[in-house]
Amino acid sequence: MKLAFRQIFIIAWRDFKAVAGTPTFLLFLLAPLFMILMGIAGGMGAGQVASSAASVTRIAALADGTDADRISAVHEQMRLIMTGEALPMLEVIKPEADPEKQAARLMASQSVDYIGVMLGSMNQPRIYHSVGAAKQGRYLAALAENAERSRIAGATTGKPLTRPQLVEARAAPRSVGGKQATASIAVFGIFFLTLFLAGQGVGMLAEEKSNKVIEVLAAAAPLESVFMGKLVGMFGVALLFVGFWAILGVIALSTLAAGMPLPFNPAVPLPIFCILFALYFTTAYLLLAAVFLGVGAQAATIREIQMLSLPITVVQMLILGLCTTAASQPGTSLARFAEWMPYSSPFAMIARAANDAAIWPHVLALFWQILWVGLTVWIAARLFRTGVLNSGSWKSLFRNPLRRKNA
Amino acid sequence: MVVANTAQVETESTYSVTASSPVWASHLQKSFGKAQAVRDVSLTVPQGVIYGVLGPNGAGKTTTLRMLLGIIDPDGGERSLLGETVPRRASNRVGYLPEERGLYPGMKAREAIAFLGALRGLPLSEGRKRAEEMMAAAGLADAIHKKIRQMSKGMAQIVQLLGSIVHRPELIVLDEPFSGLDPVNQEHLEALIRAEQARGATILFSTHVMAHAERLCARLSIIAGGMVRFEGTVDEARATLPMKATYIARQDAEGIADHLPDDAVHEGNSWRFTVPEGQAERIVSALIASGHGLEGLTMQRPSLHDAFVKIVRDVQPDANLADTDLEDAA
Repeated sequence: MKLAFRQIFIIAWRDFKAVAGTPTFLLFLLAPLFMILMGIAGGMGAGQVASSAASVTRIAALADGTDADRISAVHEQMRLIMTGEALPMLEVIKPEADPEKQAARLMASQSVDYIGVMLGSMNQPRIYHSVGAAKQGRYLAALAENAERSRIAGATTGKPLTRPQLVEARAAPRSVGGKQATASIAVFGIFFLTLFLAGQGVGMLAEEKSNKVIEVLAAAAPLESVFMGKLVGMFGVALLFVGFWAILGVIALSTLAAGMPLPFNPAVPLPIFCILFALYFTTAYLLLAAVFLGVGAQAATIREIQMLSLPITVVQMLILGLCTTAASQPGTSLARFAEWMPYSSPFAMIARAANDAAIWPHVLALFWQILWVGLTVWIAARLFRTGVLNSGSWKSLFRNPLRRKNA
Repeated sequence: MVVANTAQVETESTYSVTASSPVWASHLQKSFGKAQAVRDVSLTVPQGVIYGVLGPNGAGKTTTLRMLLGIIDPDGGERSLLGETVPRRASNRVGYLPEERGLYPGMKAREAIAFLGALRGLPLSEGRKRAEEMMAAAGLADAIHKKIRQMSKGMAQIVQLLGSIVHRPELIVLDEPFSGLDPVNQEHLEALIRAEQARGATILFSTHVMAHAERLCARLSIIAGGMVRFEGTVDEARATLPMKATYIARQDAEGIADHLPDDAVHEGNSWRFTVPEGQAERIVSALIASGHGLEGLTMQRPSLHDAFVKIVRDVQPDANLADTDLEDAA
């Protein structure tokens, strides 16, 4: 047994060094940075396009005197709550002798793109808008409505009639909605980490099979140790990746979002929730990677391994679907099913930690999941021995593993 | 002579063969789908000897070795490795060089040897130390920090062999160890095998190159068609064929052929023929008595190659033995 653990460690350490010690790993480690940079660049590009479009797009209100003041003031107020909306710049233009002709001329302008023009009195405005700009037309109508209300209330300008006091609540309540949101975030968190990292398990034995090292390993160590060693080695790589980004994330949050309340409201205390998150990520990774390792080990060529990536992703998406549904329905039989099914259990149990304060089910679940990691590795090794090494018959797969072999 | 596997068998040598021998197998069988790779293999490897498993390509040598080592399970029969009926339990006392060589190309030579030793229970630090010593002894001191991918095939093969013996195993199993090596490296390898035997290790190796078997093996098995067709010493193998004689008469006259075996061939002034078992003295006496005299007579024992070819041809008349040749041995 001691030798088996030693062999697991030796194989894991070799794999870890072989992956983490290469320049390619740096690329892998920094891949999220590229995603972030691309996101920022994309966002900036989209912002520029939007702002350049906004700079030539206008809505206009033909009004003068106090009406013009009220419309401008109401627009300033409404802009505050219309953040993020595609709200064009408003021009308040003094009406000419024939406002209809003036509006028609504005709408036909080649230099500035007027997509909406309002004219007439505020209690009976006429609003023209271009095709696809009904929203901006309704906005002009809302401007007129509020300007008219302001006039009726006796205000000489469109300044606010109320003085609200906004108080920020520092402690978020542990509402049902908050818990379920936490559950969903946690499920998605573990899912995406395993999606990015565990899928690599499918090609873990490709190197050994292509350069014939598998024969040496199989002669020196039980295949279960070989498989477990490879799994642990790859988990080490995943841990390095997650650890690196977790530290960066904590630094970024503590710098950029200091003092802001966390968007997590789990039922269990937050530190325990964080520990459970780490533990369930571990078991989720090991469970799924063990399945992928076993499936990938059966593949004879790199092409076959590549072909397997689609069904693997589909399986992962099915697990995500089950667990997010279960997270939104805590305590139901669907949630219980997801908690007991070994390969969805880590995801469902982190959702449970967000929804239910009891700790003991997690101890039980972790033992259950670790047991299934062992079982999955054992089955994967047996399938490899029978299907790839051609050792024994398929019947031997079902032989009692605890029975001593005589030959 | 197929060995009796269960009972103790006294041989002509000084050792005795028992069921507690380092390697023991009885009636091993293995099929891959419909193809029966090993039909019935029984063998016993005595302690401390160099033992050869000979056979043409596809004879079942590699499958037999893999079953003995526990890499694959047999469909039938029994086996024991260093006293363990589950071979894997003895894995840290065994060294193995597979036929298809396999090392991680990105690993440095010293690390590769230490890694292979560590898989068999040797601490990594000790493995590195021994790797340096062994590589220096093998004339590869300059390559200690070279990556496997930067080495020649022969050098990598020596590195893998060193990796399979770095933990000083009691039993060393080598599958076609000489294939792909140049004559110099073959010499190195032979010396290494002898040194390991001198250390006390038992060596079991498969080959289809007779010269190596002839030089190294104390005992050998010849496998053909998935069965052991011969088991014994090299001399015993050679003795399965009659001796060949070349006779030069003092007076080369007609009638000599009447006193020689039927296969006698007249070449120049000499006659070549095979000597039937126990007939050498009678033939020589008859030639002298008939007055043909005796100018010269050489009696040549057949080589292991001859014996091997005959044994294999007896069971596989259509066997392709093209690459089973003495020339392979350089």
